[in-house]
Amino acid sequence: MTQVADLIRRGMPANCNGRFVLDEGEWRDMVAALSHSTLPLLGLWSDGMQVHALFMEQTRPLLASVAVTDGRYLALSPARAGASASERIIQDMWGIEAMGATGCAPWLDQGQWPVTWPLRDRSPPAPAAPEGVEFTDDATMVRAGGTVLGYGPAEGDFNAPFHLRLGLPGERIMQVRSRMGYAHRGLCARMRGATVAQATQMVARIDATATVAHQQAFAGALAAIGGNAAGEMGDADLFVGELGRIVTHLDTLTVAAELLADRRFAMPAAILVERLRQACRDVYGSRLLFDVLPPVGGVERTLSIPAELLVELRDGCRALQRLFWRPRGMAMQARGRGILSADIADYWGIAGCVGRAGGVESDLRPYISRVRHGWPDGYHAMAGDVAARLGLRLHEVETAVEMLSTLDTARCLTAPVPGDDYGSGEGIGCVEGPTGPVWHWLRVEKGRVAAWWCGDPSLLLFQALPQVLSGAVYEDVPLILASLGLSAAAADL
Amino acid sequence: MAYLDLFWPEGAVLPRMLPLDIFHMETGGCTGCALELRSLSRALVEGYSDIRFVSTPRQASLLLLTGSLTVEMAPVVELAWQAMPGTRLLAAVGDCALDGGVFTPGYAVLGGVGSRARVSLLLPGCPPSPAEILDALIRWRMQGEGGLSA
Repeated sequence: MTQVADLIRRGMPANCNGRFVLDEGEWRDMVAALSHSTLPLLGLWSDGMQVHALFMEQTRPLLASVAVTDGRYLALSPARAGASASERIIQDMWGIEAMGATGCAPWLDQGQWPVTWPLRDRSPPAPAAPEGVEFTDDATMVRAGGTVLGYGPAEGDFNAPFHLRLGLPGERIMQVRSRMGYAHRGLCARMRGATVAQATQMVARIDATATVAHQQAFAGALAAIGGNAAGEMGDADLFVGELGRIVTHLDTLTVAAELLADRRFAMPAAILVERLRQACRDVYGSRLLFDVLPPVGGVERTLSIPAELLVELRDGCRALQRLFWRPRGMAMQARGRGILSADIADYWGIAGCVGRAGGVESDLRPYISRVRHGWPDGYHAMAGDVAARLGLRLHEVETAVEMLSTLDTARCLTAPVPGDDYGSGEGIGCVEGPTGPVWHWLRVEKGRVAAWWCGDPSLLLFQALPQVLSGAVYEDVPLILASLGLSAAAADL
Repeated sequence: MAYLDLFWPEGAVLPRMLPLDIFHMETGGCTGCALELRSLSRALVEGYSDIRFVSTPRQASLLLLTGSLTVEMAPVVELAWQAMPGTRLLAAVGDCALDGGVFTPGYAVLGGVGSRARVSLLLPGCPPSPAEILDALIRWRMQGEGGLSA
């Protein structure tokens, strides 16, 4: 791990804290050293001129950049499987090719866009859109025969659209092919040239299930541009973040309970979700916690939620724990389904709540939040199945509720106020969202966004789906997807 | 059973209140409106309402769209619309579905379906609350489900 980090630090320091620009040879050495290292790769993106790779060295971000030469760069996917989707997205958006990549099929661009490589200054027009969608089954699937079933993009549910093609030679799923891009809104193109205030509004609407995390990570990047210590949060920020986490986890648990037909669990959980959303509307003016960063000249708000609601939440969590673990309860029903083990998580670089449920040790919250009484103990789950993921979410709800009662919300949000007075600079921010770490990298020139990147755990989770869904029965697919907390809106941007 | 003879075929034909079957599609937004619809669907189930969300367009009489319409989702919406039987209606909920909201037309987004198609029910908001959506649905039904199309 140290060797790769040292190789990166040999590069030229950039104006973003922790970013180093490598030449082609140094990048090649870094890629070669990566295959013998465990340094986790968290993101890969391009701004057209350079390709940037984000690593995590213990608790600090470390960025390596390389200039794009003749529209190419050396791929990271042979050493880090999780880079594959990012490389394909860079190819779709910029036409920059990853040499030696493990996959080259389009990830977002399915042939319907009117232009090719839309982020280029002069995007060439695209050929005519294909009439249908073609999938290629592998030889094993062809030999096995059986049924091919589709899942999405329109299931009549309440999730962002994506498509899965599931091959079932018998009762169990053997092959999974995903097709993304349905929820792609071209956010990178929209952000370029936007003022910081406009960008903040858009960032809040990347994904409603993790809107607070996205807003806070973006605010962290802004703080880094302003020269403030990035990644440190005050009590009020922590309060909003934990409130968002509680609502998202409870909503996920309710969906899982509905899918498992456990009405005894679903009913009280749904009531808690609704009570919390109403409290969020009263306190922040938005049921889903959109735009929680105070606007310029905005009125300061009291951030505490009613004491009786905290009591109701605490009692509700105890009741939900009892219902979850009761005989023939959700924990028993969901056991052994949709396993995402530590090996799979390590292979794809999956962290956050989903990774922790498989036994991976990764939680950024203790490092980026100053909690006076220390961070509560983690939940030790190793199974990585649906029951472990749901159990971990319930545990996180419980600890977050306890934390809400200890935080001093009298202070204002420490996040920088989104205004238009930002000069020029570059920064990166991160927050542990409900599903995993959310990253925002930002370059501002003359008060306007020049380049932007957002890293969401959903992109890695979509890549891991073939392994997670293998061996599952078709009826379990919605439950497994719900427990993962997948969001195509955040993955597609 | 003794009063059955009062009705059809011998007696009067009673008007029948048809249930409203809604097929929801998220067509490219932040899923905020979809989350609020999920809350509403829970309340409808608990209240044994005759308004219900269905999992296939073949059972639906109302196609409810949320989010700005992406280029990739446009053919999917068309397929769902064509799969709906009989008299079918279109609803757009949320600012994005109305006029694109923050996701205005671009290379990947066509914009709000509200400005592109004949829509029976339009409800702005970012996002509208479940109570507002339910209120709009009930008011629209009370008005006799006007704006029939197709």
